Amino acid sequence: MNFVHLHLLLNHVPTVGTIIAFGVLLLALAQKSDDLMRGSLALFFAIALISLPTYMTGYSAEAVVKGRPGVNTELIALHQSSALLALTFMEATGVAAWFGLWQARKPAGRSRWAVPSVLLLSVVTIALMANAANIGGEITHPEILGPGQQPAAAVGALAPASLRSAAIRYYQFHHPNAWPTLEALHFIGLSLLFGVVLVGNLRILGFMRNAPFIDIHRLLPWGVGGFVINSVTGMLFFVGQAFQYIDNPAFHLKVLFMLLAGANVLYLTLFDDVWTLETGDTAPMSAKILAASQIFLWIGVIYFGRMLPYIGGAF
Amino acid sequence: MESFFEWLQGLSISNWIATDESIWSFPTILFFHSVGMGLTAGVMFIICLRLVGVGRPLPVSSMRMLFRIFWWGFVLNAITGSLLFAAHATITGNQPIYYAKLSLIAIGVVLAVPLQKFVRGDGSDGLIPASVRGMAAVALAVWVGVITTGRFIAYLQ
Repeated sequence: MNFVHLHLLLNHVPTVGTIIAFGVLLLALAQKSDDLMRGSLALFFAIALISLPTYMTGYSAEAVVKGRPGVNTELIALHQSSALLALTFMEATGVAAWFGLWQARKPAGRSRWAVPSVLLLSVVTIALMANAANIGGEITHPEILGPGQQPAAAVGALAPASLRSAAIRYYQFHHPNAWPTLEALHFIGLSLLFGVVLVGNLRILGFMRNAPFIDIHRLLPWGVGGFVINSVTGMLFFVGQAFQYIDNPAFHLKVLFMLLAGANVLYLTLFDDVWTLETGDTAPMSAKILAASQIFLWIGVIYFGRMLPYIGGAF
Repeated sequence: MESFFEWLQGLSISNWIATDESIWSFPTILFFHSVGMGLTAGVMFIICLRLVGVGRPLPVSSMRMLFRIFWWGFVLNAITGSLLFAAHATITGNQPIYYAKLSLIAIGVVLAVPLQKFVRGDGSDGLIPASVRGMAAVALAVWVGVITTGRFIAYLQ
């Protein structure tokens, strides 16, 4: 088992998974079921998380198949840029879905645009994912083309040239302030995210008890904002310089810790144990353990992020 | 000043941080400096956002204990920051951006005192005076500036 296996395993999740989550969303609307709605939104959020390693492991697959007879390098570049476009919409869908879950906890309830925006974004995501998957399949399976049929990439598939790794790398090299600016933004996002993580989890652990959790929850979008800043800047580091990360053990652990912390956020958003905490209330032990693990996981993300140059030789 | 930087960099601890190749020297200190940043700037972001009016139902008085985290983070970063500086004093000591960072930290710390006084005071759950809101807005920008200048120190050498 290596990262290429992982790519072949995960690459079905963003396409098939999004279609399933979309189906559940339609069902929830038809049945007017809020449980189904929450299930569907949680699914979108989870698939958005899994889509990150799906995209990243693609570079390991590239390293293996590149240069083999019959493998078209241009097709790989097209698959990569179309996948990055699809990933962008997938992450936007995940963030919109999280907002839908978060708003449901507000006294005013979910806003009118929450579900329609998830619907719209997910339709676009499904189309873009199918487009990327179609090109990807033809890289090592040219036999799926009918006689005389051109590869999808040659007949107008959507793969913007500006999203190519080479284009992003070129930009980073020719604008000396680009990389440090991304780094500065990455650390500002880190502080914002870490601040919200600390405050939210300290309340669960029993500090700041004169605040009900429902008040703390108003701060969560700022933490998600920090996460979005860091996903975008982090992906720009990765897309531009993928080969200093894909074999870097510190990077693998950083992504793993980040995904676990993300799953933890989903738990805190979905389940009732902490949302019902009033002024002075103490959280159950299970929630406290999760809160402590959440702080630990984010410190782990910082640790392995900081160690990227020293354990794995990234710059 | 130059002779002070040379003396500082010549200390055996500075030399160890700068030349040791294990992850337990420079990289580990850098990690603690990042965690300290998350504590100091992270907690200050939350305090200031609330004071300028974001997340309004959260009682300001519930944020009292956050200042303890802020100050512990600040102590951690004063120590780790000094060690990182000592290792490359002759280089960093001649970078204007390093002094920009130090000045911003000084402003941020000076602003933290009246903000703390307000949050810890009896009336903190009442109306937030315009002066406190103004200071919180400035402090937000200042800590963003500290992080940005800090990051650029590594790239402008």
